[in-house]
Amino acid sequence: MTDVDITSKTMDGMGPHGTKVGLLRVLGPAHVWALGVGIVLVGEYMGWNFAVGKGGAYAALIACWFAGILYTCVAMIDSEVTSTVASAGGQYTQAKHIVGPLMAFNVGLYLVFAYTMLEAANAITAGYLFSVVATMSGHEAALDQRPFIILVIMFLAWLNYRGVLATLTFNLVITAIAFVAILVLFLATSGVVGGGIMEHAALFEGHEMPYGWIGVLAAMHFGLWYYLGIEGTTQAAEEVRSPARALPFGTLAGIMTLLIAATLTWYVCSGALPWEFLGDGVNGSVAPLFDTARLSGSNALIWLLGIGTLFATLASANGCINDASRAWFAMGRDKYLPGWFGAVHPKYRTPYRAIVFLVPIALIFALGAPLDQVITFSILSGLLGYTFMPLNIIMFRKKWPLNSIKRGYEHPFHPLPAITLLTLCAVTFFAVFLGYGTQLVAMIGFYIVVSLWFHFWRYRFVNRGAQFTMPWPKPQGY
Amino acid sequence: MAHYDPPKQGKASQLIDVVVLVVLTVGALFVPLWLGMAGAAKSVATPVENPTWEALGQTPAQAAKYEALGYDPASAHDLILARFDYSFSFGALLTMIAVILLYYFLILRFSEVEYREVISEKFGDK
Amino acid sequence: MDLWNWLEYAAWALSVAFGLHMLLDWLKTDSSYSEDVLTSSREGELEAMAEEHKVKS
Repeated sequence: MTDVDITSKTMDGMGPHGTKVGLLRVLGPAHVWALGVGIVLVGEYMGWNFAVGKGGAYAALIACWFAGILYTCVAMIDSEVTSTVASAGGQYTQAKHIVGPLMAFNVGLYLVFAYTMLEAANAITAGYLFSVVATMSGHEAALDQRPFIILVIMFLAWLNYRGVLATLTFNLVITAIAFVAILVLFLATSGVVGGGIMEHAALFEGHEMPYGWIGVLAAMHFGLWYYLGIEGTTQAAEEVRSPARALPFGTLAGIMTLLIAATLTWYVCSGALPWEFLGDGVNGSVAPLFDTARLSGSNALIWLLGIGTLFATLASANGCINDASRAWFAMGRDKYLPGWFGAVHPKYRTPYRAIVFLVPIALIFALGAPLDQVITFSILSGLLGYTFMPLNIIMFRKKWPLNSIKRGYEHPFHPLPAITLLTLCAVTFFAVFLGYGTQLVAMIGFYIVVSLWFHFWRYRFVNRGAQFTMPWPKPQGY
Repeated sequence: MAHYDPPKQGKASQLIDVVVLVVLTVGALFVPLWLGMAGAAKSVATPVENPTWEALGQTPAQAAKYEALGYDPASAHDLILARFDYSFSFGALLTMIAVILLYYFLILRFSEVEYREVISEKFGDK
Repeated sequence: MDLWNWLEYAAWALSVAFGLHMLLDWLKTDSSYSEDVLTSSREGELEAMAEEHKVKS
């Protein structure tokens, strides 16, 4: 490979990084926050309420807080590792350096699937919102949702294609609006500033625990939905100006924002909507915050929460495209996937081939599969990823003890968060088993098959020593 | 350990790899759907004839909310009474646990083999 | 034909426009730069961080 040819227009050694084209370092901590919270906040606007259906309102609150603990562990562990392994690909690159190539391949696929499925779910929801608005504004025939679903995916992919700074600045604005909408709804309806509509005691009467304690376990399945995706902040590592500081800060600020948003959401929705209606996300309350606003009787609130719902789905889909393409790109760059995907756009400095390739994949799922299946596929991929994290941090601390390399952030109480996380993951596996056991087994069957494919075929194209890129000493015990 | 030089992959072979992955992915999602094994549907165990809010177990305060949302007892009947079935067999539970453990054992095992190779090429055998 | 029918067509048209723009730019980029330049990004080029990693033990 020739690096420089002074007669060539594109390889004359005068480019931004010599002749090399890499991702652009332009983001600050606020963008990291927007990426993390933006992906997740849609979970407050729709989806979390399936947990109410699984076990009642109290079960959903318990699940909300236990899932909160799970994700706090995730955020702490992730912050420590990623402040050290700062690279596009996030957990994939962590796994490659700490556990091994096959684990990394699996983790990379978890990421791509969790985000692409979530993106599809968001597009479906956005399409549904357009049809609701059409009906409310007096459109008689049923709206064809497909062009709107496709438009959401196409527009956001185009935005991502054109550059990361505009993409995540857009995310910052719409995420902030969606978050403020939740705060406003809480202030307006909870009675904190007078005139509340909350009737928790009356609504819970006789329906405290409709399924008993097994319902609480089952609710953990959708309890994840309050926070799913916060770990995606690490994908921005190669585009953040100062990863060792901005990533832990953005991630931990993000999980705090979400804990507040999730609790407020539970409070206002369960105080206004009966649990059977709230818990049925298909025939009952598709968008619970929006329904709560409807009951408040204020047109301004209805509009605000309607816009909030739309913005939350857009922000989430946008962040998902960003994260899935970074993971796909990073795997291509290492030849874990065909090397063709490891290309960076010379002008926009984005992984453009990965972005374009994932568009039709997202469309297949958005147009061809039912919403709860898509959500379950996304949750399962996420869950497999969270199960990997405790293994990851335990090995990380063992192979490189605290003083052997510099860490941007060290999480406290190790190994307590790792053990807590592993336990909560086991509980959640059981919860998924209660509702979607077949999918769980089908999905793991899929990962076993691709793992064998990778180990016996694909791995031959990968450079052995060169894929270990961190300037670390040799791991202990090798 | 000797330095390993990976072969350069041709365009056609890259394309085949992508197709294989896409087919497997789409298959994993759609095969359970086609086989009708997907999902946990709710069902109404004991329907109520001529439902009233009391017969559906709703207090006046709860009934008022349903009416504000635009329901009457008949249209809210299925929504209120449908329940999940959480019964399961221990055989199925053990199968799931076995599959998950097998999966993690498999990847950790293979990863370790590959990882030792990476470390010895990167840092040399000492 | 009311407003929403027009919006449906507009959504189709915009989707095609965004898709075409990406597709054309992609083909243009691929043909005007060599593959070696496009795939020259490497992991771990973290200049600032790399310098601080010193073995202390």
